[in-house]
Amino acid sequence: MKWLQSREQRELVEQIKDSRLRLYRLAFAWCHDAGLADDLAQETLTRGLSRLDQLRDSARLMGWLFAILNRCWIDHLRGRREDFDDELLAELPSDLPGPDSHVERQETVSRVRTAIAALPLGQRQVVTLIDLEDFSYAEVAEILAIPIGTVMSRLCRARASLKELLLEPPVAQRHLRSVK
Amino acid sequence: MNQPRDFSDERLNAFVDNQLGVQECDEILAAIASDADLGQRLCALRSAKELVRHAYGNVPPARHRLDRRLPVWCGALAASITLVVGVLAGWLGHQATATAEAPGAATSWAGRVFAAEPGRILIHLDSSRSEQMDAALDLAEAYLAKASDARIEIIANHRGLELLRVDTTPYAARIAGLKAQHARVGFVACGQTIARLRGVGVDVELVPETTVARTAIEHVAERVQQGWTYLKI
Repeated sequence: MKWLQSREQRELVEQIKDSRLRLYRLAFAWCHDAGLADDLAQETLTRGLSRLDQLRDSARLMGWLFAILNRCWIDHLRGRREDFDDELLAELPSDLPGPDSHVERQETVSRVRTAIAALPLGQRQVVTLIDLEDFSYAEVAEILAIPIGTVMSRLCRARASLKELLLEPPVAQRHLRSVK
Repeated sequence: MNQPRDFSDERLNAFVDNQLGVQECDEILAAIASDADLGQRLCALRSAKELVRHAYGNVPPARHRLDRRLPVWCGALAASITLVVGVLAGWLGHQATATAEAPGAATSWAGRVFAAEPGRILIHLDSSRSEQMDAALDLAEAYLAKASDARIEIIANHRGLELLRVDTTPYAARIAGLKAQHARVGFVACGQTIARLRGVGVDVELVPETTVARTAIEHVAERVQQGWTYLKI
């Protein structure tokens, strides 16, 4: 079969190369480990390039790549906890270290990353796909291979936790206020 | 006086994320005017969303791990090597010159665009395990034995670079022999991996048959773009 040097083909390869930073950023938001995030992004790109024949619609390239990233991430976690299935993995409480204080000096950024790192994995994935990548709920459901209702409930719990941790005064302070 | 409507958190999140239809948005917007609590709930959800965006606006630069554990997906290595060898053996056995699509078969968009030519193979190695290094060289040799005019490249990054480093490779003579016998075989090292190693004081000297690409992933992308068959070991 003759190789087609089309503009469409060149653009797709360029898009794949350009997607590395986005994949890395999301992987970092999931694992908060720059080395692991880079490995996951790299593996996603290599898997993607080797499976391009499975991509049926070029307009859905990013969703397709993020779905591969999700599989790489699950494979990584499975390597550590082989007895967990996908659903249990999603509920896995975080055992991530907080952000590196030497690297991250901005207090707000550090607080938010710590709060996100504390979310169960499934919630962390949903909230970052929606807030960082602007995917629709339906797209997130497809990327993570879960029902859309699960996307909405995980998002709800994630935002409730973030709100409590980041936007509401600490319990002691609330108590003081109420007895004034 | 109308009672304030009780909107669920799911619905308010969907409003904040622009996932509702026009009518549902209108209902919430109309309710905000007379319901201060609703306004506050929405404001908190919007703030949480903005905080997440803000937190990852600038992520730290990628740090490659020198102590990189073998990724989990290497567990499937034996199967993937078998598959690759099987596919190649099939191709070599039949001496196929073109890929015919089965009539009526669902052909994907990318499958048509990225139909690779046989005869140009890029083998990607990112591990220093001896069986993987062996597999990469075995593949190249087997392919060249059947199609001596083929172009073959082995691209090495991460720990796979050890195949091409003078002080770590167990295969310097084999690489030299392959190159001497087949001018169209190439060995490519990832410039990013080299820079990372040198950055931590490792003296990197490559076997003389090696060329250096800026990054492995860019080289892979370029070769795929040019129609090469890409194989990950």
